[in-house]
Amino acid sequence: MSLSESPTIEVKDLKTYFFTKGGIARAVDGVSFSVGRGKVLGLVGESGSGKTVTGFSILGLVDEPGRIVGGEILYRGENLVSASPDRMRELRGVNISMIFQDPMMTLNPVLRIDTQMIEALQAHESISKDDARQRARDVLGQVGIASPDERLRSYPHQFSGGMRQRVAIAIALLNKPDLIVADEPTTALDVTIQGQILYEVQKLCSQTGTALIWITHDLSVVAGLADDICVMYAGRIVEQGSVNSVLDKPMHPYTDGLISSVPSRNKRGVPLAQIPGMAPSLLKLPKGCSFGPRCAHFSNACDSIPDISNYENGRQIRCHNPLGAGTTLRVTD
Amino acid sequence: MALNNKKEPILTINNVSKRFIKSLDLAGKIAQRFGADIREEVVHAVDRVSLNIQDGEVVGLVGESGCGKSTLGRVVAGVHEPSDGNVLFRGKAIEGLTGKDAQEAALKIQMIFQDPMSSLNPRLRVQDIIGEAPVVHGVVDSGNITDYVEEIMLRVGLDPSYARRYPHQFSGGQRQRIGIARALAVQPDFLVCDESVAALDVSIQAQVLNLFMRLRQELNLTYLFISHDLGVVEHLSDRVVIMYLGRVVEVAPTETLFADPNHPYTQALLAEVPRLETRQRKFAPVKGEIPSPIDPPTGCHFHPRCPKAFAKCHQETPALKEIESNRFSACHLND
Repeated sequence: MSLSESPTIEVKDLKTYFFTKGGIARAVDGVSFSVGRGKVLGLVGESGSGKTVTGFSILGLVDEPGRIVGGEILYRGENLVSASPDRMRELRGVNISMIFQDPMMTLNPVLRIDTQMIEALQAHESISKDDARQRARDVLGQVGIASPDERLRSYPHQFSGGMRQRVAIAIALLNKPDLIVADEPTTALDVTIQGQILYEVQKLCSQTGTALIWITHDLSVVAGLADDICVMYAGRIVEQGSVNSVLDKPMHPYTDGLISSVPSRNKRGVPLAQIPGMAPSLLKLPKGCSFGPRCAHFSNACDSIPDISNYENGRQIRCHNPLGAGTTLRVTD
Repeated sequence: MALNNKKEPILTINNVSKRFIKSLDLAGKIAQRFGADIREEVVHAVDRVSLNIQDGEVVGLVGESGCGKSTLGRVVAGVHEPSDGNVLFRGKAIEGLTGKDAQEAALKIQMIFQDPMSSLNPRLRVQDIIGEAPVVHGVVDSGNITDYVEEIMLRVGLDPSYARRYPHQFSGGQRQRIGIARALAVQPDFLVCDESVAALDVSIQAQVLNLFMRLRQELNLTYLFISHDLGVVEHLSDRVVIMYLGRVVEVAPTETLFADPNHPYTQALLAEVPRLETRQRKFAPVKGEIPSPIDPPTGCHFHPRCPKAFAKCHQETPALKEIESNRFSACHLND
């Protein structure tokens, strides 16, 4: 990312907590990252790591009992955390869109596709119905839907899963947003259909300069798509940096464990490298580093929560005992 | 593990088809009587599939949704009856068996499902989920069941002190272990695993895959491992079967298949698999959607999406032919 251009979105020390009967769940606890124009950020983590809540926080979609309790979300310099609900409604769907894992979350099952797409356009600008239909048609074509005219008159249930996800993506693209937050949009799709969607998304980012946050649990998808990666664990980013540096030289033991447990990385028939145990409950986080109890490099220092340490090329790691730290230059700020 | 063709296979799938028929309702029948152009809808979920599985072998069954891989697994496990053809277990047709033999065959082939939450009874304690079947089928006496359940739980890596808990009190990975324990409790020889690790997180998936590999060695199990995840299948299987729209398009030993895929569909599938090693790649996807099994294309099912299709592919269904020893592919290009 060039330093001269300010990023499209900058998240600074974001904290989103859920105040439940069982206690406070710190779903997002001090998350910071930024995404520049036309860049793709892969936000990777397992279930319950806080990756989806991070996405929801950016869109202002966090519901009770959750609340953003600290930090800033700067969209082109404007802080969304303090923005009014009206302002958020203006931005949402126009400047910032979201694609959900399940396209039926976006689509209304009892309305035709054209009704839904025209509605999304007319809600944000005064545009005639015919112009809106024309725009909807173009966008459907853009995401690779054959015979868009005919498809506009269909209902969501008449589409296959992959087609529905394309329609959901088309709706996200309608108003040419600067930022798209995509939450596991291809997880439920087949490999060949996933390939098609990734192809469309990649083309879009490079052509229109849309910034993309791609939330996923699948490191392999991110490897092919993203420029930068953030790895989340139990509400915190434990490692971030460029795709190549993070995947080739993981420094956090959790990232390292995730990468080595991918089957294709292991020799056939030999037991997979596995991370012992399971992710902790957010209501009962272990003392100190949350990964500590599962970590092979645990030391006494890990009883305190590690701070972010900066390494060369913008690499950031939250670990007391980073792997291969001798070979990578640490930057003091 | 080397394939030994001289040995009798543990399981033979012999020209099996499975059709699901949505018959006409009364209004439909009347309309048809008056000459309306409506017919029963027939889904050819599995279309004349033949396959031998050797004792101790792990066969990976790969395909996209709707290709019939789960249906084939269910036919093998005895959940569905085949519409045509038959399944032979240790040389004996399962369908023809009666009484004790039928029960024996049914116990020896067990199935592990994708979603442990919908395949475990939420109102039963773990000890009953695991212990019910072996007692009913006389695998153990009801007096020894507590010890037996404990032994099985230890084997799959569950803490036996949790035996009195309910499924909802476990995490996803642990629930899958309960599902595995339940299948193992009747001492099967053959496991059909239908997307058994698909719903699990990466780090938990590795744990369960390792469990499958350990169990295979300890208990000399044979697996039919159904998955859409080529990485998982590559890691676990000795041999891979690729299905497309109800038909087997390629069968090959794992290493050969991944190094040198023969069928254009296999090639496309392998090219689309996201891998850690490929960075910022240009995605160049296969065109089109998977056709509906209600109205499959003529000839080779893959021809509308195939970059190498020619006239013959539109008309003639390619047969699954042996192209090298132990390698089969159904493509006209091999003629």
